[in-house]
Amino acid sequence: MGTVDADLFVTCLVDSLFPDVAECSVRLLRRGGVRVGFPRGQTCCGQPLFNTGFRDLARQQALRTMALLESREVPVIVPSGSCAAMIRHGYPELFAGEAKLSARARRLSERVFELSEFLVEVVHWTPSPQPGPAVVYHASCHLQRGLGIDAAPRRLLETALGAPVAALEPECCGFGGAFAADHAEISAAMLERRLHQIEMSGAGLVVANDVGCLMHLEGGLRRSGAAVRCAHLAQALEGEWNGLQ
Amino acid sequence: MTTAFRTGVRAALANPALQEALDKNAERRRAGWEAAFASLPESEARKRQAAEVRRRTIAELDAHLDAFTAQLQGQGVVFHRAKDGAAACHAVLAILQSHGVHRVVKAKSMVTEEIGLNRALLAAGIEVVETDLGEFIVQLRGEAPAHITAPAIHLRRADVGRTFEQHLGVPFTTEVAEMTAAARRALRDRFFEAEAGITGVNFAVAQTGTLCLVTNEGNGRMVTSLPPLHIAVMGIERLVPSLADLGVMLDVLPRAATGQSRTSYVSLLQGPRGAGDPDGAFERHVVLVDNGRSAVRGSTLAEALSCIRCGACLNACPVYQEIGGHAYGSAYPGPIGSVLSPALWGVGRFGHLARASTLCGACRDACPVGIDLPALLLRVRGEQTRTGRPSPWLRAGMYLFAWTIASPNRYRWAQRLAAMASRAAPGTGGWIRRLPPPMSGWTERRDFPRFDRRPFRQRWELSAQRVEAPATAKEPSVADGSKGAPALPSPPNPLSRPFRSGEGARGARATRTFMEAVERIGGEVFECRSESIAFEISQFLRREGVGELLAWGRSSPTMDGILTRLEADGLRLIEPEVPDGPAEERSARLSRYARMAAGITGAVAGLEDAGTLVLPSGPGRSQLASLLPPLHLAVLDAADIYSSLEAWLLSNGPRWLQDASGLVLVSGPSRTADIEMTLTIGVHGPKRVVVFVVRRE
Repeated sequence: MGTVDADLFVTCLVDSLFPDVAECSVRLLRRGGVRVGFPRGQTCCGQPLFNTGFRDLARQQALRTMALLESREVPVIVPSGSCAAMIRHGYPELFAGEAKLSARARRLSERVFELSEFLVEVVHWTPSPQPGPAVVYHASCHLQRGLGIDAAPRRLLETALGAPVAALEPECCGFGGAFAADHAEISAAMLERRLHQIEMSGAGLVVANDVGCLMHLEGGLRRSGAAVRCAHLAQALEGEWNGLQ
Repeated sequence: MTTAFRTGVRAALANPALQEALDKNAERRRAGWEAAFASLPESEARKRQAAEVRRRTIAELDAHLDAFTAQLQGQGVVFHRAKDGAAACHAVLAILQSHGVHRVVKAKSMVTEEIGLNRALLAAGIEVVETDLGEFIVQLRGEAPAHITAPAIHLRRADVGRTFEQHLGVPFTTEVAEMTAAARRALRDRFFEAEAGITGVNFAVAQTGTLCLVTNEGNGRMVTSLPPLHIAVMGIERLVPSLADLGVMLDVLPRAATGQSRTSYVSLLQGPRGAGDPDGAFERHVVLVDNGRSAVRGSTLAEALSCIRCGACLNACPVYQEIGGHAYGSAYPGPIGSVLSPALWGVGRFGHLARASTLCGACRDACPVGIDLPALLLRVRGEQTRTGRPSPWLRAGMYLFAWTIASPNRYRWAQRLAAMASRAAPGTGGWIRRLPPPMSGWTERRDFPRFDRRPFRQRWELSAQRVEAPATAKEPSVADGSKGAPALPSPPNPLSRPFRSGEGARGARATRTFMEAVERIGGEVFECRSESIAFEISQFLRREGVGELLAWGRSSPTMDGILTRLEADGLRLIEPEVPDGPAEERSARLSRYARMAAGITGAVAGLEDAGTLVLPSGPGRSQLASLLPPLHLAVLDAADIYSSLEAWLLSNGPRWLQDASGLVLVSGPSRTADIEMTLTIGVHGPKRVVVFVVRRE
C-alpha cells in the first residue's frame, strides 16, 4: 500500500459537535496509508445557506471554500455524505453559467470524496475483523441517493464486524437541516417512524456516515428513553462503540 | 398560505385514519412500482428514453403544438387555445352553451382541477358529474382530490360507506365491491343522459393528432364515446412527438402510477365519429391550456414540465406520507406539486411548499422521466428567498450564520460561545433537553447535542502528528479514475423489433405468451381451431345463459361464421347504433344496450407484453359491444399477435389509426382500487373479458 496525500474537510457539525468522529476519521485514513492534511481556516461548506435558498450567501461561502481547498491538488475527504454532495453537486449548480467558476467547481468536485468511498474505492483499505455490538446501518439520503454510495460503507462495516450487517429500509429520518426546526412536527413524525424501525431491528447501535442524520436519530432515541445509540461509521470502524455519546 | 399550510399539516398529523391510509398507500404503491419496473426489460434505459422524449418535447414545444393543431384541424377536431384558467373555463363553457348542454359527465383530469372547471360550470347552471370512482366520492363529499392518481386516498371504506349512504340512498356497507357496484348503478344513467363528456388527456401525439387516455375503470371510454359531444382539456405540455414516443411513455406511465404494465384501457382518439361509425362522439373539441406553462418553459424550473402526472413522487415522498395531499392547498400536491404550484402560479403564493422537504431524493429516484426534484425544490427556495418571502428568523439566522462562517476567527469565537451557552442549557450529559425559539421545535421531540469544548480544529492544532501542508501544489496522487465517473447516458434502447407472430414455432410461442398474459391480468382465454370456433363460442354463451348480445358486424369471414352460427343457435344479436337525435331517445337506446348480458367483438391485434386486445372503432365495429355489457367476448386471429405495443405501433398501428376514428387497447376487465386500494373488478366496463384465439392450421 503506497502513501497518498489527502486533505480532510471536516465539516462544521463534526468539528463543533462531534470532534471524536474527525479523530476517528484521521486514524482510519492513516491506517489506509493516507498522509492527512487539514487545510487551516476551513469552516462550513455553505450547505445550510444553499438548502434554505440563500444562494448568494452560499455562493460566497463556496468561493471561499473552493479557494481554500485549491491550496493543493490532492483528494479532499469529507466524513459526511451531504457535505460531500454539496461540494460535488451543489457547487457546480451554484456556478452554472459562469464558465471559469463552474470549471473550477467541476475540477474540485472530481477530487472530493466521502470518507467510506475513498477508503474502499481509492486506497482499497480493508479493516480487520473485531467483535462488536448488534449494528443496523442507516443509509443517509444524500449519501445513498445523492452520491450513489451504498456498497462501500456496508462493506467496511461488515468486514470490520466479520458478519453481515442489517440495514434499515432506505428512508429519510426527517432531519433535512433547517427543515427539522422549521417543520419540526413533520420532521418529528418522520423521526418517530424511523425510531420504530430501529426498535424493530433489535440492534443496539445505529451506524451511518452523516452526523446530521445521526444527531437527529440520537436526539430522538435519547428523548424516547431508548437504550439504542448511534455512531458514525468512522467510530464504528475504530471500535468506538459508544458512538456520539 | 404558510399559516394555512401549517394548519393543514397539524390536522393531517393528528388524524389517525389518514395516517393509516397514507402508510398503506406508500407501502403498496412503492412495492407495485418496484415490481412493475422489474418486469420491464431494460427498465433504466426505457426510463432514460422516456425522459429524453419529454425533454425534447418541451424544448421544441412550439413546433409540436403547430403540428398537433394542424392534425386536429385536418381531422375535424375543433381546438381552442386558452392562456389561463379563466380563458379555458370560458372556452369550455362557450362550447357547452352553444350546444345547449345542461348535463356533463367527466373523467378524471388534473388540469380541470387546476383551472377550477367544475366550479365554473356549476356556477353557470351546468350539472357536472365526476365518474372516476375516487373523484365521484370526493365530489359527493365536496372535497378536492388528495392525490394525483388516487383522489380518495385519504378515506377509509367506512367513510365512503357513509358518504354513499347519505348521498346515494344505499344502505351503509363496508364491502368495497358493494360500494363499487352502487357507484356503477348511480352513474349508469348519468352516462346515458349526458349531453357532453369532458376528459383530460394523458398524452397527445403531435405528428398524428392522436389523443391518448390511460384509464382503468371504463368511465373514460364512456365519457369519450357515449355523449354526442366530447371536450378534451389538456395542458400544452401533454404532447409527445410521435407514435413511437407514445409507445415509450405508455411503458412507463402505468408502471409508475399504479404498478401495472398496462392499464385496462388505453384510448387512442383520432377525430370525431367517422361517417359509417355506429357510435362515438359526433363532435370533438380540444382545449389547450397554457396557464403559466409558457413562462415556466423559459425558467430554471422548465424541467418540471416533463411531468407525466403519474404520482410516483407522492407515493415515494416521506413528507407526503405524513401530511397527505390536502395540506398542500394546490391541485398538485407532493414533491412535483411543490415545484409546479410555485412555478405556474407564483413563488409568492406557493413557494413555502418547497421548504416542506428534507431533499431526501426519494422522489427523484421514483420519477420515471428523471426529473431532479430536489434540485428544482432548491431553485424554488432560492427564488423565494430572493424575492423576500422567507420567515424573518430564517433570514436573520442565515445572515448571521453566513457572516460567522465567512471568517475562521469569527467561526472559532462562535464555537466557544456556543460551547459555553450549550453547557448552560438544561439537559443531561452531552445533550440538551430544551432550547429557545427558533430551535424549540427541535427540542419538543428530541435532544440536541451540546457544542464540544474542544472542537476538532483545536485538537488538530495541538496534535503533534499533524502534517505540514507542502507549499507547492502537487499532482494528485490518486486521481486514478476509480471514483465512479458520472455515467454517460447510454444510447437509447434500440426499438424492439416489430414482430408479428406469423406462422410456425414463433407463432405457437407467441400465442402461448399472449394467453398467459391475458390470464395474468384477470382475463379468460381459449384457443380454438377455426372450424370449431363458432361452436365453441355458442357453447360458451349457452353455459353462461346468454340469450341476446351486442355484436360487431360481419367484419371478417371468421366473424361472419360465428355470428351465423350464433343466430342459428337461437341467440339474438344486436349491432348497436347510436344515431344523432333527441337526448331521451339516445338515453333509452343506451339503457337497452346496457341491459345485454354480453358483447362479442373481433380484435385486430393482440399484444403479448400485457395480454392486450386492439379494438378499433369504425363501420361494423361498435365500441359499446366491448364496453357496456358485463361480459366481453373477443375473437382474435393467432396470426395477429404482436410482441409488444411498440411493435404494433411501428408496423400496423399507424394504418389503423389513420383509418379509424379511434381505437382502444383493452387489457383485462375493468378495474379500480380507489377505495382503500382494494382491487375491485368490473366498474363501468366489463367484469369479464374472454378471448378466443383462432389457431390457423
